[in-house]
Amino acid sequence: MSFLQNFHLSPGQTIRSTRGFKWNTNNGNAASNDNDNYKNFNVGGGTQANELNAPANIMNHNQYSQPTRVLPQTPTKQVNSSPQQITDFNYTPSHQQPYIQAPVGTTVSSHQDLKQIVEMTLGSKGVLNQAVKLPKGENENEWLAVHCVDFYNQINMLYGTITEFCSPQSCPRMIATNEYEYLWSFQKDQPPVSVSAPKYVEVLMKWCQDQFDDETFFPSKTSGTFPNRFIQKVAIPILRRLFRVYAHIYCHHFNEILELNLQTVLNTSFRHFCLFVQEFQLLRPSDFGPLLELVNELRDR
Amino acid sequence: IANSPKKLPRGFYEKAASNKTQRLVSVCQMYFLDYYCDMFDYVISRRQRTKKVLEYLTQQKTVPSVTNESLTTEWNSYLHKENEILRKRRLKPKNKDFE
Repeated sequence: MSFLQNFHLSPGQTIRSTRGFKWNTNNGNAASNDNDNYKNFNVGGGTQANELNAPANIMNHNQYSQPTRVLPQTPTKQVNSSPQQITDFNYTPSHQQPYIQAPVGTTVSSHQDLKQIVEMTLGSKGVLNQAVKLPKGENENEWLAVHCVDFYNQINMLYGTITEFCSPQSCPRMIATNEYEYLWSFQKDQPPVSVSAPKYVEVLMKWCQDQFDDETFFPSKTSGTFPNRFIQKVAIPILRRLFRVYAHIYCHHFNEILELNLQTVLNTSFRHFCLFVQEFQLLRPSDFGPLLELVNELRDR
Repeated sequence: IANSPKKLPRGFYEKAASNKTQRLVSVCQMYFLDYYCDMFDYVISRRQRTKKVLEYLTQQKTVPSVTNESLTTEWNSYLHKENEILRKRRLKPKNKDFE
């Protein structure tokens, strides 16, 4: 299956030959009639010569009689309707597309599909842009802290729905496309290690929860204040890591999300996240890694 | 898998149809619906409150007996109250969750 996937079933060749075959059989009667007519007019020719000429004659006749037929559109339809064709909606950045690519317009690449889906599922354009803005006179730290907790909860919910499909067997490494792997450092002075995706998300969520529970980082009393450089030291590291869960879901579980009909929820949540980090300039383009194209797409719209 | 238009892992439909997954999906959808309703509600009502306070303050400015300092104090106490409301939204457990 994966072979066919990468090969895009080479729609041009297979389908054109099939069409050609059908075409000839459908018009078989008409063609033989033409052949007879030709025979009548062809005085000097033998039977063999007639049989050799016949196919060429059919071809010519068909081309002239139906010049308005549009060829390239039919193959696309056939590819889509064929049950063996399997589409992978998991997000792959365009620079990571397979080397062999079907020409534009015949097969829909996953990236194009995603764009289309994002466009379909995102209504209410300016509403989120407005909602992320700092309310007049509000403390920026407080506003960021509330959103850190909100996005943590959202990602917890989203990832929760696919826990059945994201196992140490299916995702033995915490990756987002083949180019990005995220490592976790369990102890401060030890190098970060490669862990499975569910394990990574588990320790990541635990770590976030510990940060939220820490009174010196996230004060709960009304008198409590935020530490110095709260944004740089606390908020940004949290958001940077939470982003990686979005990246993993988009790159490796978008098929499942689509099938569970959660794409609207995921897109809205991610768009909200992007608009928020953009509003306060929290993440650098390099932090977006595998989803940079998608993020730009959302920003430009 | 053959009937699916998408590339899905083995045994996807069995898992997707299970009660556990179905429950998680509906909980997730309800959570987001609730969250965004609540969030927009908060943002909009907060803006309206601020607008009213600012209108009130500009009105008071025209009154000669009221000093600028007292207006600043009132504005700051309003912001302090809003700040408390916002902080409560971040903290668990929310009262709303137990209603």
